[in-house]
Amino acid sequence: MISIRADRSRLWVVLLLLVVLHFGLRPRLGYPLIAPDFLLLALILYAMRSRPGAAAVAGFLVGLVGDAMVPARIGAGALAHTVVGYLAAWGRAVFFPDNLFINGLVIALAVWARTAIQLVASGPGPGGLLVPLLVWAPLQALTTALTAGLVLVVFQRWLDIRLDA
Amino acid sequence: MAPGADRTHSRRDSLLFAACVVLSVAMLVQPAWGERATGLIRRSVLVPFLWLQERAEASRTTRSAFDRLRAERDSAAHAAQFLSSLRAENVRLRGLLGLGERLRTDYIAAEVLHQAMPTDGRTLLLSAGSRAGVRQFDPVVGAEGLIGVVRTVEPERSIAMTWAHPEFRASTFTQQGEVFGVIAPATQLTGSEQLLQLRGVAIRDSVPAGTLVVTSGLGGVYPAGIPVGTVLGSAPEETGWERVYVVRPAASPAAATQVLILRHPSAASLGRAFQPDSAP
Repeated sequence: MISIRADRSRLWVVLLLLVVLHFGLRPRLGYPLIAPDFLLLALILYAMRSRPGAAAVAGFLVGLVGDAMVPARIGAGALAHTVVGYLAAWGRAVFFPDNLFINGLVIALAVWARTAIQLVASGPGPGGLLVPLLVWAPLQALTTALTAGLVLVVFQRWLDIRLDA
Repeated sequence: MAPGADRTHSRRDSLLFAACVVLSVAMLVQPAWGERATGLIRRSVLVPFLWLQERAEASRTTRSAFDRLRAERDSAAHAAQFLSSLRAENVRLRGLLGLGERLRTDYIAAEVLHQAMPTDGRTLLLSAGSRAGVRQFDPVVGAEGLIGVVRTVEPERSIAMTWAHPEFRASTFTQQGEVFGVIAPATQLTGSEQLLQLRGVAIRDSVPAGTLVVTSGLGGVYPAGIPVGTVLGSAPEETGWERVYVVRPAASPAAATQVLILRHPSAASLGRAFQPDSAP
């Protein structure tokens, strides 16, 4: 029991660190549309270790926070993050072996799916859907996946995973 | 785990997921509910994090401003070796023309706090709020032209609706003031560039490509003369009662890092403030 509690508190430390990086480091990383999304990364790391219901609630809250900062279409972010969080937790038995590449791939897919759902729910903008979905979202998915790889390697003992490669 | 307990967990997961989806859709349908909730989040939980982001944005801006100034100093030093007399003449003429303070209306400078959401750019979170004097419907401009208008004001921060927002509209005319129209985002599914549309142009009027479109000052929100964009060409119009033109925007909200919020904009045109200097 103590071990489980310790593992959980370590997970919360990593999640808090990612939240701080999102607000403190991300603005310094250049163009905002392709800088890694630390909040979504934290959500997926949490979803990988939680039941789908809890992951859906966490996704809803993360999305609501996003909607609070970009209130262009309130509810679209909450919906997108809820779906992504739920699916990440529901599919972890299939998609989350202890392999760094697979982890990165799933996190990249999560970023792209979040962007797609949010843009569709928000309605078309002046730039259309093609460029955000085929250019910006894949680039942000790539940077987030690379960041995820770094986080998983650095904190693999804290996150209790054994990475193959 | 017993099969019964697992089924209970599974049902609870599905219920939680369904509840979150229903709440999200409810906010999409009734934006007023969502605005209350998100406003509360901005004023409570997010305060320390947004403060952290403001520091990070300010530090990045300061660093880039320092680099730019250093580059300008190096260029100036290099040019001064060869063009000192021309430089002196230029400074004297600038003084005569009063170009030192081009923007004569009162304004507040604010950092743009960009977010990771794909809809960032349709609205912008700004680092100045009512304590700095920002009011609802104050125009927001960048160095190149119109960015948008302040939609929500909080004590420390405000939210601007930019021209990329589907609900954005502004009264405009061509630079010579001959043709009036309403500017709106060109919402599209398959575009590759963020564009605007100049709508409501009388069927008898035509606007050549390359014409600069500026705010007209009608409506009392935007002062006249702020550059909005350049006409690219005409767009098809289904009803046949008006002409519609495609306009390339002057300023990009997604790329803006600092903006000016105009306070008490006067009725006088701001067009001269946005004209580039003629001499190097």
